[in-house]
Amino acid sequence: MTKTSLLLAIAIAVFLLGSGKQAFAYPQYQLNSDKTCTGCHLAPDGGGILNENGINTAEATAWHAGDGNFMYGMSKPSWLDLGGDARAAAGFVYPGTASAAAYPMQAELAASVHWSGFSFHALGGLRQPQVNGNALHVIWSREHYLMWQSAPESHEGFYIRVGRMMPTFGLRLAEHVVYTQRFGGEPLYGEVYAVAASYVSDAFEVHATGFVHDSIASAAEHGDGGALYAEARIGEHGAIGAEGKYASSPDAHRTYAGLTGKLYLPGPSVMLLGEAEVIHQSFLAANDRVDQIAVYVMASHPLGSGLLLDLGAGHFTQDIQVKGLFRDAFDVDLHWFQTSHLEWLVTTRLELLDLASHTSGAYALLQLHYRL
Amino acid sequence: MKCLALLAFLLAAACGTDDPRKPTVEVIATEILAPTCGQVQCHSTTTMTSGLAFDTLEAAKRTLPEMTAMDGKKSLYRVIHVTGGNRMPPDSPLDPADIDLIDSWLGSGAPGL
Repeated sequence: MTKTSLLLAIAIAVFLLGSGKQAFAYPQYQLNSDKTCTGCHLAPDGGGILNENGINTAEATAWHAGDGNFMYGMSKPSWLDLGGDARAAAGFVYPGTASAAAYPMQAELAASVHWSGFSFHALGGLRQPQVNGNALHVIWSREHYLMWQSAPESHEGFYIRVGRMMPTFGLRLAEHVVYTQRFGGEPLYGEVYAVAASYVSDAFEVHATGFVHDSIASAAEHGDGGALYAEARIGEHGAIGAEGKYASSPDAHRTYAGLTGKLYLPGPSVMLLGEAEVIHQSFLAANDRVDQIAVYVMASHPLGSGLLLDLGAGHFTQDIQVKGLFRDAFDVDLHWFQTSHLEWLVTTRLELLDLASHTSGAYALLQLHYRL
Repeated sequence: MKCLALLAFLLAAACGTDDPRKPTVEVIATEILAPTCGQVQCHSTTTMTSGLAFDTLEAAKRTLPEMTAMDGKKSLYRVIHVTGGNRMPPDSPLDPADIDLIDSWLGSGAPGL
């Protein structure tokens, strides 16, 4: 591989996956055992450090059992929870011709200190250095917030959070290339400074977030605004949700509204997930308005021996006023949880422009994820 | 090469499209480049990959003047038209309607910069 090809491959890899992920949760597992994200995570919106039940679930899911606790049971005080994630990937992308890529993605540590109903959470690590670099952009904290919860020993109750976090909104899948994530108001590094209130129960959950953008470290979200997400469980294995978000920046006012649906089918052991959004953007300097549609559906099925297969399809209409300005994506992801700490993921995507009438994009990557 | 590029601009302009968008730097920057090239992990004010940023109109107006040449390493026209491994965006190509709009804007002298 020439130096140019190598640099290109690195650029492609960075473009595809960045150096981090915005969420580490797997909503594919919701509703087949626990109804809420708090069944497995400390945070009311999922992601981040696992609680005791989450660790047990990870152990039960993995191919090879062991000790799922932080650093395989490292001694620590009871008021402290620790976590961390490291990811790297390698594979091929297809920007017209196949190019190889291999690169690190993420190296982050998480800590949670809790006393009574209060806790402080911090998540940080390494990210790409900025050109003409600033140390703040090499080592940084994506999330840090103070949380109060009404029932610390329960997965249900009220939660109030103040600090830097992702607005709670939508399905919150781990893969940021999904259209409803990337274009639908949940982009990679979309964390903001926020005040968030949540109520979570087995019957329903509501999350309201007011936020301002991070003008110091910069991020994907340049606007100030609010987000709302509500989800009601239907029966033992179903849920429907409604979502809304508004953000105003010097360039644009953006409004997102959508629906989510989740259904677990116990017989075939298939989890169905779906999200559909309409997005209205007013571009101030351009004096233009754009309406968009973003949709993603996924079917997830455990194959045994720690394997989980995800089949996904997405659609994005970039501007409904422009004929043929849309794209579709088809994803096949195969997870193998070798242990509760070690995950292998083969992730593949085919993206078609205007129903394949034009050049398409694709990738196939092997990702290694190690949870401390 | 420059003649071919100019011819492509003229042909695109002559054929016309169903695109009601205006080929202005504001539309190009905020509606096309920001959500594609300007993703935070790529050419954003946060990451500045290759020293380029498109995530805001202000950043794009700083970046684009050095990219309006018809050819050359940083030519916007070249990187969105080239076939093979040097194309940008690398994984998820721009829609032809977006490329036509950028071509039209470049062909008219990249006004607004």
